[in-house]
Amino acid sequence: MAMTCPRCGAQNPDGNLYCQNCGTALTAPVGVAPPPPGPPPGPPPGPPPGMAPPAFASPPGYASPYYRPAAATPPVHRTPWMVILAAVVALVVIMAGVGTLIAVLGNRNSPSNNGSVADLASPSPEASPSPVGSPVPTPTSSATQSNDGVSVTLPAGWTVADQDSETLVLTDPNSEGEITIASGASVPAQTAQDNKTSIDQGLKGKYPDTRNCPGTTTSSATFNGAKGIAWTLCLTLTDGTHSVPAAASVFTGANSSGSVYYVVIVLTQQDDLSHYLSVAKPVLASVHWKLT
Amino acid sequence: MRCDHCANDVPDGVFCTRCGAHQGTTGELAKAKTRSHRYAAHPAEHVVQPSVFTTIFPHLGHQKVHEFRWAFVVGLAGIAVLYVAGLIAAAILVAIFLVPVLYLIYLYEAQVYRDEPATVLGFTIGGGAVVGLVLSLIVRALDNPYPSFGNPLHPTSINIGLLLFLGVLVPVVQEAVKPLPALFLPKRSEFPETVDGLVFGIAAGLGFSVAESLVAFSGALTGLPAHLAPGNWIYDLVTLAIFQPLVQGSATGMVVAAVWRYRRGRLGQRELGGVAMAVIAHVAFTLGTRTLSDAGVAQPFVLIWQAAIVGAMLIYVRYLLHHALLEEAAHMGFAETVCPNCHMHIVASGFCPNCGVALTAAPTSVKRARKPAVAKS
Repeated sequence: MAMTCPRCGAQNPDGNLYCQNCGTALTAPVGVAPPPPGPPPGPPPGPPPGMAPPAFASPPGYASPYYRPAAATPPVHRTPWMVILAAVVALVVIMAGVGTLIAVLGNRNSPSNNGSVADLASPSPEASPSPVGSPVPTPTSSATQSNDGVSVTLPAGWTVADQDSETLVLTDPNSEGEITIASGASVPAQTAQDNKTSIDQGLKGKYPDTRNCPGTTTSSATFNGAKGIAWTLCLTLTDGTHSVPAAASVFTGANSSGSVYYVVIVLTQQDDLSHYLSVAKPVLASVHWKLT
Repeated sequence: MRCDHCANDVPDGVFCTRCGAHQGTTGELAKAKTRSHRYAAHPAEHVVQPSVFTTIFPHLGHQKVHEFRWAFVVGLAGIAVLYVAGLIAAAILVAIFLVPVLYLIYLYEAQVYRDEPATVLGFTIGGGAVVGLVLSLIVRALDNPYPSFGNPLHPTSINIGLLLFLGVLVPVVQEAVKPLPALFLPKRSEFPETVDGLVFGIAAGLGFSVAESLVAFSGALTGLPAHLAPGNWIYDLVTLAIFQPLVQGSATGMVVAAVWRYRRGRLGQRELGGVAMAVIAHVAFTLGTRTLSDAGVAQPFVLIWQAAIVGAMLIYVRYLLHHALLEEAAHMGFAETVCPNCHMHIVASGFCPNCGVALTAAPTSVKRARKPAVAKS
């Protein structure tokens, strides 16, 4: 049987506690006396949370938004705060173990001697670079790429990924790595050691885990007539959304006055450097420094 | 009392329990009705407040929000400890999983999945992870893994083609596929509220973020030594732990919420703006990060850029949800309930008359405890 609301007159299903139109109580709650008349209150005072509102006199027509529960309120689902905290602590501990284990297992396979770029392109001691680039005899299906500082002959399939007046960045046909060859004026004059320091700091700033590969050494070297230093770096190429463990065989040199720099970087996957150096050998052998 | 804004007879209170209008500011009619100064899910906050936890955890009451905040702080402290100790691989893993694990606990706390935990979690977090894995592997196969080293003795150059591919095309494709698992959720008629769609979308986005980050950093996880000097890894860790999951989650949440509104026949400028905001913000985040990094800008400034994008996204999520709650909570009938925010025993329809919180944003256990009628004997 429908119940009529005494306030707004709306019809409500039998059994409803409150009018679905205006919220007026349709049934007197068990065990609760109606509030005694008294002075009208101010705006709803908002008793402390969790406590039933005190009984105070209501003005005529005042419909209280609060109810007094007839029985204890059954507890609702709550995740204890200790469980939430414990889950986070467990995450940290478990991932610390898993991460360390992955790193230990992954590094077991790191090669200790990756070779060096300078090993592949050491010229005969009497060769000296010409101030004017003279083209190296090119085999068929090769092309010469050059800029103001360097020229190089590319075998078939090699491409120039990037180029400016001092730098050439070359990619092999299988995109297994890249070679950076650069030469230009150093202002102010920089020795080979100064160049090495600049390269190490620059790479460390961009790739924070840059370090000498285990089992490799830093040594003096000569690359196609340019004297300098050769060493091998291991690093993780990352930009915040992407990462690759890489190794770079690096050569940097300077002329006798320090006014010209030379740089060769062979970059590839960390476990593939030896193989990639052999792939890069024809390119490295054809490097010709235009500046002395 | 008769509400000045919806003209309904309602129990007396600070807020109209039918439409949520703030009776205390009736003199400024538009502001009272839209009550931007009282965010519908957390009335103690303004809508335009880039608060992370009250935005992406809308069902939590103010006390529970504090507990989750502290849990997050503990997680960040754990990452900091691992970073200082040089256990970078471990720190990366914790950073990737921190926010998604907290969200899993939140879904359990609020029982958002009601009686379908396996289905909901499988299609949201699980589906997002699967989509993320597939898409990330495809992008990895297409992308040259060796960013142009350039000449380290001279300023770095920017590869425009790579920027457009990774910074524009990939985020747009991600925004198109990330919401799919949540959109095809079975029995979605049992979850009609926009707040449900938003939460499902955020969960899918977080699952995607986990898979994407694991694929992207798989090389670092296997290639780094167990212990090394911390260096500048802190910047990547902050991105992984905070900004990356928030971008992915918020963007997917806005798209799925817009679709939920469409299914209710309520697709409007606000919802379309949410979809546009998701795509534009994600592109801006990714493109801006790569451009600034390639240009050699200091890492703290990259983080500031990321924080600005995430802040803007959070504000739009709140704007979208606030207005959806104001519209959708009004259909609820009167019942006895305990307000999940102020804990008052109230007779309410859609909004608590005391604090104004939208009761559709209450945890499932609170909604099920509502008492509209006498229990049948």
